[in-house]
Amino acid sequence: MGASLLDAVLAETLDPAYAQAAAARAATGAAPRPRRRARVLVALTMAVAGLLVAVTYDQAAASAQGRAQVRAALIEDIRSDSRVTDELAVQLESLRTQVAGTRDQLLAASAVGQRALDDLAQAERGAAAVPVTGPGLLVTLANADPGADDDPVGGRTTEEDPRGRVRDGDLQLVVNALWAAGAEAVSINGQRLGPATAIRFAGEAVLVDFRPVTNPYEVSAVGDPDTLSTQFLASPEVGALAVISESFGLRFDFARKKELSLPAASIPELRSAQPQGREPTTPGAATTPGASPDAGTAPDREPGG
Amino acid sequence: MIPILGLAAGVLLGLFFDPTVPLWLQPYLPIAVVAALDAVFGGFRARLDGIFDAKVFVISFVSNVVVAALIVFLGDQLGVGAQLSTAVVVVLGIRIFGNAAAIRRHVFRA
Repeated sequence: MGASLLDAVLAETLDPAYAQAAAARAATGAAPRPRRRARVLVALTMAVAGLLVAVTYDQAAASAQGRAQVRAALIEDIRSDSRVTDELAVQLESLRTQVAGTRDQLLAASAVGQRALDDLAQAERGAAAVPVTGPGLLVTLANADPGADDDPVGGRTTEEDPRGRVRDGDLQLVVNALWAAGAEAVSINGQRLGPATAIRFAGEAVLVDFRPVTNPYEVSAVGDPDTLSTQFLASPEVGALAVISESFGLRFDFARKKELSLPAASIPELRSAQPQGREPTTPGAATTPGASPDAGTAPDREPGG
Repeated sequence: MIPILGLAAGVLLGLFFDPTVPLWLQPYLPIAVVAALDAVFGGFRARLDGIFDAKVFVISFVSNVVVAALIVFLGDQLGVGAQLSTAVVVVLGIRIFGNAAAIRRHVFRA
């Protein structure tokens, strides 16, 4: 065997047994006419080949179909579950309004109650529990565009540069700078930031208040637009972030807005409550969750960052 | 003509009766099909070359299918099943290509 293995593979595409058989036939002078049994055998073999092809095709098609079915079922599950979540959120919202209305009604009846109501309103503003509308600043942060030099054949095989992504730290920096610049209320992609809202990174997604927000990130801050923008731009961290985003292709810009609408933040769970001895508690006010017991402690918490 | 009828009959049988393949055999079906295609193309070319032999064809078909499946089975046991499948597909693919080119030269004289 003089030739290399690859040469042999490339040159000998036909089974050498055919040539040998032909040579043997020529040597013995046997009749080249095919016998009947041989013909049947060949036909049977061809039938087996066809059967193999058909069965394999069936298998492949069936498994592809099965995958598509499972995927469709999962998508349907996700849709129906998020519908249920939406319905529950609407229900929660209406129940909350109802509770707040009843509470206000009960408290407004007495002078003590009225004072408690005023305290409560102030606390709710501080805790970002009420929606806010007003002029302000809209800061936009976005990931760098994926490189144009992506391999068109292999899809996105090249790793996306992690430095071209907006991280939780960038958003924290922007939000802190906005608070420092005198923002009264801040939200990221419609998620209002309360006093205890965390901005974190989990895997590939930025979580605000444990709910994922996606690229591009729009940070809205309500406050005096002029003061906000000058103070915001004066902050050295923002200057550094601007330079960084410039060099890694991140989008980072801001605009003054006349009208920004920020929703209420999700109300944190009531973890501890103290009965207040000085108030002659009416049963209705005392048992309303999140109402008067919370009002005494809530003002202590200041909007942080 | 009869072999082509046999092939068509096999395809129709497979599509209509939809036989269930045992689960343990399923991973070896695609490779067996490639091996069978190689044997069929080889037989067709031998026919055109005028050296077709029924015995050689049947034996090469059966041994091709069995050996290809065995190689992949062995590879699976040794943990290199995917790589060995690739090797088998490459070798058989080259042979199918070469035989198809020879058939083309016979049929179109080019």
